Amino acid sequence: MPFLGFLDTSKGLSGEVISSLIVMGIIMILSFIVAIQAHYHDPLKKPKGLLFLTEVGINFFDRLVSEMMGPKFKGFGGYIMAVAVYLFIAFIFGLTGLPSPVTNLAVPLSLALCTFILIHATSVKYTKFKYFKRYIEPIPVFLPVNLISMWAPLLSMSLRLFGNAISGWALMSIVYSALQNLSGMLFSWAQIGAWNQIFIAPFITPFLHAYFDLFSGLIQTTIFIFLTMINIGLEAPEEDTVNS
Amino acid sequence: MEWGYYLAAAIAMISVGCSAIGEGLVCCHAIDGMSRNPEMAGKLRTNMILGCALVETTAIYALLVAILCLFVH
Repeated sequence: MPFLGFLDTSKGLSGEVISSLIVMGIIMILSFIVAIQAHYHDPLKKPKGLLFLTEVGINFFDRLVSEMMGPKFKGFGGYIMAVAVYLFIAFIFGLTGLPSPVTNLAVPLSLALCTFILIHATSVKYTKFKYFKRYIEPIPVFLPVNLISMWAPLLSMSLRLFGNAISGWALMSIVYSALQNLSGMLFSWAQIGAWNQIFIAPFITPFLHAYFDLFSGLIQTTIFIFLTMINIGLEAPEEDTVNS
Repeated sequence: MEWGYYLAAAIAMISVGCSAIGEGLVCCHAIDGMSRNPEMAGKLRTNMILGCALVETTAIYALLVAILCLFVH
């Protein structure tokens, strides 16, 4: 059971959590490099290399956040960019052969939990004590329904990421085992034991990896940050009601 | 009773077909809009991919249910 493994603590940390820690380490080292480069960089010269990429990324996410969520959420660019970078690297981390962090339910669940807490924190920030009114709308009879539907964003966002990652993983395992058997049948004349299973898979699976890891990872990262921005942005009041 | 789990997984897969119809409708109407209003094509394409991925969620839930039926018992 690769995807419920985080419940089993008898064997220590599961592999996906360890690769999640590795991804975090990679991002941390990259951000230290960027920070050192930015510190010693002459602001009058053109940035180059990693610093340039980071500046382009920060500009892009700041513009995206101000377009999607309005000018009230200027500080959210950092969070959105951190989530996007982490998710994309976590998705393509499966290409290294280590388990991708997203194939463990703990990782998408914690990301979705961050969004969930942010949604409610934003709601409390902008509506103060009227926050509790959202549970009895439109009439108080709807209280149990609202209490259940309150968990919908958490469930749908975590399961969307997890389902995509796990379906890619399951399909890739099926394709790999089928190609191993096919290659074993075709090259059984070579008399090299189990090594005759390795010949076909390297020519077919790269395209599937490009779809299931790169494309699917990019799309799901986009979906996740878009949904995060939309859900958080919905909690803030409209622009004209603030001014009036 | 082993076959019952396989039957359950097969029934869960019906929802994937319905989700495919929905995705087709999304693409169909997005391309309608693009051909009527070509200068909006970029924005429509972004929204189309977003909508497709949202529609796909239903299929992914069904796939999860099927995987759970097959492997968790």
